[in-house]
Parts: sequence; structure tokens; C-alpha cells
Amino acid sequence: MSRLTSALTVPREKLEKYQTAAHIGGVVAALLGVASALMTWAYKDAHVALDDVTYSGAPSALQYNYIGLAVIAALLFAGPLVFRKPGPVRDWVAWNTGARFAGYGLLATGFVAVAAIGIEAGGVINVDPGGWLALVAGVLATVSGLVLFRSPDPAMGKIKTHSIVQIFAIAGGLAAVLFAAAFALGLSGPGAFLFYLTFAGSLAFVLVRAGIFGWFAKCAADNKKIMVLAAFFVAFVFPFTQNGSDANMSIATQVLIFAATALGLNIVVGLVGLLDLGYIAFLGAGAFTSAVLSGSLYSHFHWHPPFIVTVLISGCVSSLLGLIIGTPTLRVSGDYLAIVTLAFGEIFRITMNNLDGSDGPNITNGSNGINNVPELNFLGFNFGQAHVIFGIQVGRFANYFWLMLLVLAVIMVVFVNLNRSRIGRGWVAIREDELAAEAMGVNTFGLKILAFAGGAFLAGLAGAVKAHYDISVTPDQYVFLESAFLLAAVVLGGMGTVMGVLVGATILKLLPEKLRFFSDYRLMLFGLLLVFMMRFRPEGIIADERRQLEFHAEDEDLAESVEEELITYHDHFNPDALTTEDLR
Amino acid sequence: MDLFWQQLINGLSLGALYALIAVGYTVVYGIVQLINFAHGEIFMVGAFGAFATWVVMGSPKEMSWQMAVFGLLPAMIVGGMIVSVCMALLTERLAYRPLRDAPRLAPLITAIGISVFLQEFVRLFFGSIPGMPDAKRAIPFPTVIGISGQSIHFGNVTVQISAIFTIGALAVCTLFLWFYVNRTKTGRAMIATSQDPDTARLMGINVDRVIMSAFAVGAALAAIAGVAHGLRYGNIDFRMGFLAGLKAFTAAVLGGIGNINGAVVGGLVLGVVESMATTFIPGQFGSPAWKDVWAFVLLILVLVFRPQGLLGAKTVDRA
Repeated sequence: MSRLTSALTVPREKLEKYQTAAHIGGVVAALLGVASALMTWAYKDAHVALDDVTYSGAPSALQYNYIGLAVIAALLFAGPLVFRKPGPVRDWVAWNTGARFAGYGLLATGFVAVAAIGIEAGGVINVDPGGWLALVAGVLATVSGLVLFRSPDPAMGKIKTHSIVQIFAIAGGLAAVLFAAAFALGLSGPGAFLFYLTFAGSLAFVLVRAGIFGWFAKCAADNKKIMVLAAFFVAFVFPFTQNGSDANMSIATQVLIFAATALGLNIVVGLVGLLDLGYIAFLGAGAFTSAVLSGSLYSHFHWHPPFIVTVLISGCVSSLLGLIIGTPTLRVSGDYLAIVTLAFGEIFRITMNNLDGSDGPNITNGSNGINNVPELNFLGFNFGQAHVIFGIQVGRFANYFWLMLLVLAVIMVVFVNLNRSRIGRGWVAIREDELAAEAMGVNTFGLKILAFAGGAFLAGLAGAVKAHYDISVTPDQYVFLESAFLLAAVVLGGMGTVMGVLVGATILKLLPEKLRFFSDYRLMLFGLLLVFMMRFRPEGIIADERRQLEFHAEDEDLAESVEEELITYHDHFNPDALTTEDLR
Repeated sequence: MDLFWQQLINGLSLGALYALIAVGYTVVYGIVQLINFAHGEIFMVGAFGAFATWVVMGSPKEMSWQMAVFGLLPAMIVGGMIVSVCMALLTERLAYRPLRDAPRLAPLITAIGISVFLQEFVRLFFGSIPGMPDAKRAIPFPTVIGISGQSIHFGNVTVQISAIFTIGALAVCTLFLWFYVNRTKTGRAMIATSQDPDTARLMGINVDRVIMSAFAVGAALAAIAGVAHGLRYGNIDFRMGFLAGLKAFTAAVLGGIGNINGAVVGGLVLGVVESMATTFIPGQFGSPAWKDVWAFVLLILVLVFRPQGLLGAKTVDRA
């Protein structure tokens, strides 16, 4: 990588005189982009590829998005021309860096548009001049962006804003996220979805790189509680945006189940650094327990406790299994754990297959599993039926969506509080250096067992809901590849962070649903993804700074920032203790 | 008593298969302390390589048994070895080497990634190589006349020729490995590197090359195991590496990971335990459906009572 970039780097002096030209070129390119969206992108019935991009002068919804990106690009390119002298406004935003990424974004979206029309509508002959113009605008903007110097770090994250404004910003931002999500899920074709994804990804990148996101981050950090509540509120109202559409709600619920399980795995892998490759077995144990106790006709147990009790029993069964498997293996080196948990996953699957009456006692009906798990019925609220709330019909999946949201909230609260507690600090110490942690008096074995059994408990909770949601529970839902898939979500999103895992789970669950054409290559790409993430960004998309430092030990700036955070954190909780200043 | 001897032979031949794969885990672990999780897939790729060699040779079917045993079989083994060794060196160079100083979690996750990738790659693309059948389903392994399906009888005990081939291959490989490790320069460099990589480097040993040779030796033995698997079960498929790799790792731990003799002993013990369990455990839990479970239970028991393995010396945890 570095060899490649160094070959592309032109000396600074040579670029000096082209800066103004590049700014102007970028603005022109962005305006070309806007112009292209006013033209037709495709020949008449090519709208199967994107949406209706076949009218001139009347942009489609997707083209409006593209226009938005182009306008932002134009503003970023034009900014330094307007604010010629360094001043507060000029320092707020990283104009050049943002502009460069906006250029990449225009190129990427233009390319996806042309490719989608070319593939889905049968040949690039269907691409009209407007589409080609969008591609040309992207190339020009990218070239202009590459000429620009990098901006100094933006100062927007340091602006002091009144808290009312901040709260409005949070509300606005989250509302935008909600509408974007609803819009994205409403798109039908894979081309349109991919186009929108490219657009949204580019926009996010531009906002982060230009420093505008820094201001939002500060708003969120200053009003943490409001932020979290608002985020949950947005997730809560999400079903209302779907007009009773089951397809999207079903995906959304699956994402939540997946995310909740991945978050449990994140305690084990992300916080303690224990690689658990049989985690799906804990989800399965929860699901089977819950199914067996659910009163399904296929279950051979005739005790049907209320769901609250079942959930707890499921969690306990899972964590008991965690104890059984963890106690022997957590005493020896961590590598063994990975393989033993893998073996355990297999034991679980085979055992569930064998408890069919002929090879063992009949508990699970073998490979047929337990079908017809009844819908949840909670204080008279039947989860299987559609309900009308505020005049909007919400279906079965929405009910489970809300239930999973609750479970996810519980898991998140557990995760965050543990992370910030004595236990969490012990875990991180074990992850960073187990011998040193033990020498400092951390009860390493006990904490590892706690993480392992606790993670299993959370998976058991998720499994209990999953059994009712899926209606049938069979052993082949809980194979090793599912564990690998969960691990991929944790690794992709960012080990040890909540946000990261939510993002990773969403990406890994949503993409295959929306992009059916790549479903056959899904697993292969995930394998590659794991390899590449470990090689180039082992800390994941959303990195935990301290975790990041473990992978990039030579990064001095990062080390300093982590140290600073630790000191403020320490002072916050021990105001009377000696500070590092005193010690100096 | 006949049943006992029959199961012993079955177990030994199964165990020999595990042992051949387990050596690959143990050699690599002994030198870089890395569980090469993708080794099971190297075994699978070796079997497919052997199959591909047979197809390239024109899918010969009719021949004398001398021709089959001394011509076809060695050619298939060599072909499988070339493919699996190349694959192992490729993964080492591209995926593991850049992560050598990374936290231990990183190479493990990479290994899982490689494992999933290789399985899916073979499943999706083996069929698109000209002349090769689609690998989405099990592919019948070529019959080697004189070995496949043949058996000899000692009283009431039946011994498959393929079992004799597997056990014989293990014996030859063990002798070869003993010679390679103890008598050649590279082998002694391996021992030195496993004891102390930094000092080994100071003594002028090219550690990178030693690590590569460890991967290569393991892959070559895995390819032999791949052929043995094909002869034993009559077919190969892209999933076969997962369970076999897991069992072989169990065998390596059982014998004491990092110890080559341990891997051989561990493999044999595991095979015998597995086949005995299906016969001598009474009731429903003795049915063949449970044999994998017993193997893994054995792994857990070993970790509880003797984490250093049967032949492993008690060492300080290096993690």
C-alpha cells in the first residue's frame, strides 16, 4: 500500500501553483454533476436498474440524492476560494480533505449508476449522455481533489454551542438517519440499493473527513443521555415508517437478533480478548430451551412457564453450558479456547441432532427440530397478530422488533456499565497482558469465567426470543458458519465498541438480503473480509481507541490521546487522588 | 474378541489419517505458536489437487494393479502435494507473515477467514476449471486398482487395503520426519527456532524460511492424508476439511501440541477411542451418531487433566 501511494505522490512544490485551478475545477465538476442529474441518465425502460432516471429536467429521488452530494462537493471545493484568509470559519471545516472525499464519492456514485444501468438494463448502450456526464464529473472532481493539499485538522468539534441547539441537532441528525434508513429499505432493485448505499457511504465519509461530523459528535457527547434516548426513540418509531410492510420489518428484526448476539460475543472477544468460535451454540441453547418450554405440540415437556421465566431459564441454561465449557479451557492458553469452543459448537449441534429418540432421549426431535413454537402472548398482547397503533397498522414482525429492541437495550446497558466498572477494567487488563494483570492482583480466571458465562447468558436471552420469532428451531440453524458470521460482525464493526457491532451486524445482515445476486458469494467474501480486516484495519470500522492502540503500538498521537482520556476518566472518578501533574 | 481387533484396526487406520493431518498443526505451532486453523482446508485442497491430477492424466480407469499402485497413486500424491504446499505457502506469505507481531487474536481470526474462503472458493470455482466436475456436491474419488475397495481377512477380522495404505503412509512419513528434523540442517534450524526464535536468528538461521518449510512439510503430509481420505471413503467434498481438521487438532492437543511424536500418538489414540466408543459404550450413546462427540469430550478431558498432552513436557504458558 505505502509503496503504491509513494509512487503516486507528486512533490508539494509542483502542486503549489495548481491549487486554485483545482478548486475551480472541482466546483465546475460538481456543477457538471448537478447538470447531469437534470438530464436523463438512461434510455427509456432502464428504470429497472435504478429508479426513474429517464426524464430530463425532473430528477428522480436517487438523482436528488446525487444532486445533494454534488452541491456539498461544490461548497467544499469553493470554500477556500471564498474564505481566502485563515479565520474561524475557514478553520472549522477541513475543506480540502472533505472536497477530495466528495470527489471520490461523486466518482463512485457515478460509476455505480452507469454500471447498474449497464448490467441490469442489458448493456451500456442504455446509458444516456446524462449518465456519462455524471461519470465524467466524478473523474474530474476526483482529479481536482487529488491535486489539493490536505487541510489541517478541522476545529468544528471544538465550537461551543448552546445546548438547545445541540439537542435540535441531535434530533435533526437522527431524524435524517431514520428517513434515510426507511428510504433505503423501500428501494426495490439491487442497483438502486447499491447506488443509495454508495451515496450514503460517501456522504458519511465526507462529513467525517470535513470535520462536520465532529460537531455532531460533540453535541452527542455533551448530551449523552438525550442522544441514547433519542436513538432508541428513533429505533422505536421505525416500524411506523414501514406502513405494515412485513418484508423490511422481518429484516430489521433479524438484524436486531443478530446484533444482540454479536454484542454478547463482543464482551467475550472485544473486551476480554477470548476467541469464542462456538458462540452460536449458546444462542441455540437458549432457542431450544425456550422452544421446549413453549408449549409447542412438538415439545415433549409439559411445563409451560410464562415467557419471563422461560427467558431467564434459557439464559441460565446457556450460561451453565458456558461454565461447563469454560472452566477447563480458561485455565490454559487462549488458543485452546478457540478450538475447544469450536468443538463445543459441534458437540452442541450433533447432540441436538441426536436427541431424537433413536440415538438418545427424545427432546429435540433430532434434525426435524421443534416446530410450531407458539407466538408470544404477553399479558394479553398477542405478538402474532397485527395491531393498529395511532391509526397505523404494525404487523407481527414489528412486535418482535420492539421486544428485541428491549432485549438489545438490556444487553447494551449491561455492556456499557460493565465496561466502565472494575470488572470491565479487569477484562481490558487481561486482554492487554494476562500475566501482568494477574501480577497486579486481577482475578484473571474468575473474570474470564464471568465474561464467558455472562456472554453466554446474553446469547441465551436472544435465543429465547429467536425461537418464538422463527417459529421453528432446528439444529442446522446453529452451525459453525453462523459463529464465523457473528465474529465477522464484531471484527468488521470494531471489537469492544457498541456502535461498531451495531454497524457491523447491520451491514452483514442487510447487504445479503438486499443484494441477492451476491448471496452465493457471500461466505467467500466474508472469509476474505476477515483476512483483509485483520491485515489493514484490525480495529474495525468504528474503533475503540485503546483497542486501536494495541494493533498500532507505534502510533504516538494515538497513545497520547488514550492516555489523556484515561487521566480525565481517572480524575472524574477519583477527584481527590493524586493527578499525574502532582506526581511530576 | 474379534470385534475388539476389528475396531482396533478401524481405529488405527482412522487415527493414522488424523495423525497425518495433526503433524501439520503441531509443526507450525511448535515454531510460531500459531494454530493454523486453515490446515484442515489445506488437507481438503490436497485431496482436490490429487483428484485434479488424475483428471489431467486423462482420467485413467483400466490398468494393471502394479501400474495403479506404483504409477497412478504416486502421481496423484505428488500432484496433491504440489497444490497443497503452494496453497499453504501462499497463505503463510500473504496472510500470516504480515501479522507475526500482531496480538494473538489477529492471526487466529485471519485463519478462520482463510478457512471459510478456501472452502467457498473450492465450492464455487473448482467446477469452472476446464475439465473438472462441479464441486458443490461430493465428487467420487478415482479408484486405484489394488487399493480401493479391496480387503484381506485375518480370521473374522477384515482389513481394508486403504487402511493398510494409510497406516503405512503414516509410518513412512514419521520415519521421514524423524530423519528430516533430527538429521538435516533445515530440521535442526526448526528445532532451534522453536526453542528461541530471536537467538536462532542471531545464529544466522533464516527464520522466515524455517517457518515456510514448517508450513510446507505440514501441507505435504496433509496432501497424503487427503489421498488416504479419498481412498478410504471413496469421495471428497469441499466440507471435508472442517471436521477432519478439528479432529486432527484434537489429536495434536491430545499428544501434546508442538511435539511431532505426540501428534502421531495422539492421532492413533483418538482414532482408536472413537471407534471403540461406538462399539463398547452401551445403550443409545454408543451409536455411531455420537462418535464425534466422544472425540471432543476426550479433548476437553485432556485439557482438564493433562493440558500439556500425553507426550508434552510441562512448560510455562507462553501466551
